[in-house]
Amino acid sequence: MSYKLTLKEAQKLLDKLSLTYDIYAPKKLKAQGRYSDTDIIKYEKIKNIDEIEYREKSTYPMKEVISPIQQTIFYFTEDKYRESKVSTKPILVFSRACDINAIKVQTKIFIGNGGFVDYYYQRMYERIKFILMECDFESDTCFCVSMNANITNNYSLAVRFEDDGIHFEVKDKDFTNYFKGYPHSSFAPKFVMENKTKVHIPEIKDRNMLNKIKKSPMWKEYDKRCISCGACTIACSTCTCFLTRDLIYGDNSEVGERRRLSSSCQIDDFALVAGGGNYRTTAGDRMRYKVLHKFHDYKERFKDSHMCVGCGRCIERCPEYISITATVEKLNKEIERIEKEEASNV
Amino acid sequence: MNHDINIKECRINCFRESKVPGEFMLQMRVPGGMIDSKYLDLIQKISKTYGDGNFHFGTRQTFDICRIKYEDIDKVNKCIEDYIKEVEEGLCDVDMDLVAHEKVGRKVNTGYPTIGARNISACIGNYHCICGNINTFELARKIEPIIFPSHYHIKINISGCPNDCNKAHLCDFGIIGVSKLVYHKERCIGCGLCAKICESHATRVLSLNKETGKIDKDECCCVGCSECARHCPTSAWTRSEQKFYRVILGGRTGRQTPRTGKMFLNWASEETLLQVLGNWQKFSSWVMDYKPEYLHGGHLIDRAGYKKFKEIMLDGVHLNPECIVAEDIYFNEIEYRSNFNVKPLSKHKKAGPGA
Ligand code: SF4
Ligand code: SF4
Ligand code: SF4
Ligand code: SF4
Ligand code: SF4
Repeated sequence: MSYKLTLKEAQKLLDKLSLTYDIYAPKKLKAQGRYSDTDIIKYEKIKNIDEIEYREKSTYPMKEVISPIQQTIFYFTEDKYRESKVSTKPILVFSRACDINAIKVQTKIFIGNGGFVDYYYQRMYERIKFILMECDFESDTCFCVSMNANITNNYSLAVRFEDDGIHFEVKDKDFTNYFKGYPHSSFAPKFVMENKTKVHIPEIKDRNMLNKIKKSPMWKEYDKRCISCGACTIACSTCTCFLTRDLIYGDNSEVGERRRLSSSCQIDDFALVAGGGNYRTTAGDRMRYKVLHKFHDYKERFKDSHMCVGCGRCIERCPEYISITATVEKLNKEIERIEKEEASNV
Repeated sequence: MNHDINIKECRINCFRESKVPGEFMLQMRVPGGMIDSKYLDLIQKISKTYGDGNFHFGTRQTFDICRIKYEDIDKVNKCIEDYIKEVEEGLCDVDMDLVAHEKVGRKVNTGYPTIGARNISACIGNYHCICGNINTFELARKIEPIIFPSHYHIKINISGCPNDCNKAHLCDFGIIGVSKLVYHKERCIGCGLCAKICESHATRVLSLNKETGKIDKDECCCVGCSECARHCPTSAWTRSEQKFYRVILGGRTGRQTPRTGKMFLNWASEETLLQVLGNWQKFSSWVMDYKPEYLHGGHLIDRAGYKKFKEIMLDGVHLNPECIVAEDIYFNEIEYRSNFNVKPLSKHKKAGPGA
């Protein structure tokens, strides 16, 4: 069932929902961008309808609601430890299809990876319900359709923002009562069915090809272009890498807290392993790792989809104008070249 | 050639005499160095009709057209009337009839009423530059009506950031856009990039604390360049929304005592900055005892001494709370001739009443 609420009514609804739910949405932060007088949009807890930035794609992904850049996971004293407390209030998040599909990927890694359940992820994930936002904008960095991540039915409510009000589709019975008495509407959320940017998924037919790709000179380009800042991965909807760090209180090394922090495979000491060896030492190596992970390795392992959802945030955040879609197309050309080379060798 | 020309009047009218007898160079003001490119047609027309077809970028970002015959000055002034109206009055809100706050009864088609305060130059700033902290030409357009038209000389250079591409350190009053940086600790992943960048691009005030995995900052010596914010992958460093300015005083080139300027104000707000500049007229007239003569702004500061300068320039100014001011300034001049300043008392220059 769908309804149309005026902005005033929508605010009232939000107030009412806030009693039961923590509500998160993309919010524009003025002048906090990388360059002077540019903005960023990131997920924050909101109280007012007009805080929701729905006209543009957020700079940072929705995943920050579930796995924030930094979280304290437990506190310790000598041999005892206590988990950090999180609110048990359920969460409602205004999200786009790509972000919701990205959570599917995140959940596979945190909850379905080799039977291991990440408690800290799970306790957040269990609280979440989604409010689907339509993507009513043109962005040439989006390629969700190519990644099959443009459609989802994993949402409780769907919304369409209009100048004079907001349409709601109510899919989850938990919310039916909130809408009693509001006028009906014929609204059904539209999904993006075509992007300006399309990506052809590389077909890596066997191990032999994979090895040749790994040795390919194509990655060298990134030794010169990529500055290894990690911005692409922090903005990525699907990256899950983190590190833990103990913070010791004062001069007593037995008392402190353990934190979890996002990390990045693109930063140059990420692959530092015990003993000081670093097995991905160049920016090109790291780029290869990222691209293959997003467009091959993950699917090899989990079978259902590729890791990348085509949100394009990595493209928008890269200060060196490195585009993941262009990189994948370069990889496609390289595969073609290798195949031709193989054919002529027979 | 037999000429009887009042070249001082021509100069005040922004036509400078040439080495070629009877010829002049027009200097058109472009506050902040930014202008609609449609005016290039006008430049071309004047240059082809009255000049020799060439055009020179003035070192202070003026449009310079040479080889104009003295006899054509009136016609050229007529050509630039609309430009003056649109740029000075339209973009900058300048009243061309008020020279040093007094009505002069400027007639149309008579060109610039004075050359005094020089064109405010600026780098491209945050309109384009990835490093810029401020919109430089918008600031120039706000300052223009404060210092122009006036017979008193002042050179103002604006740079969008402490990289100082427009040499705020080499003019009377150099303005540099700076930012106060905000650290959002909870977004910091401890990658250390900001500290590396601050060391290689700026002042090495950041360090990665090995115990906390967070950044320590030596607040006092941050130059406010924002390189940390530009490079941080998580937006853990962001610029404050409010813009701040550093003022570098007394830099100059020249035949006698060139020197780089030194810091006069740091972290001034726009309001503070404009209020301080509003006192320039008062300061100059005090030094010259109300007789505007051709004398560089920097020399006025020398004559009055920094303390007197500070007293008059800060008079009635409401400093924003962040703003700090140099108690004293120790300039470091290049003396082309040593002990240049040691001379009979009668040759010393005076400032203030009776100067
Ligand atoms: S790799 Fe880029 S496009 Fe793909 S999910 Fe990550 S940020 Fe989005
Ligand atoms: S690809 Fe771009 S954003 Fe990613 S690490 Fe390299 S330079 Fe940074
Ligand atoms: S001074 Fe700064 S803002 Fe201006 S051009 Fe140079 S680097 Fe860019
Ligand atoms: S660059 Fe950003 S994330 Fe990295 S240490 Fe500095 S503040 Fe933290
Ligand atoms: S703004 Fe300050 S802390 Fe940041 S890079 Fe510049 S000098 Fe360093």
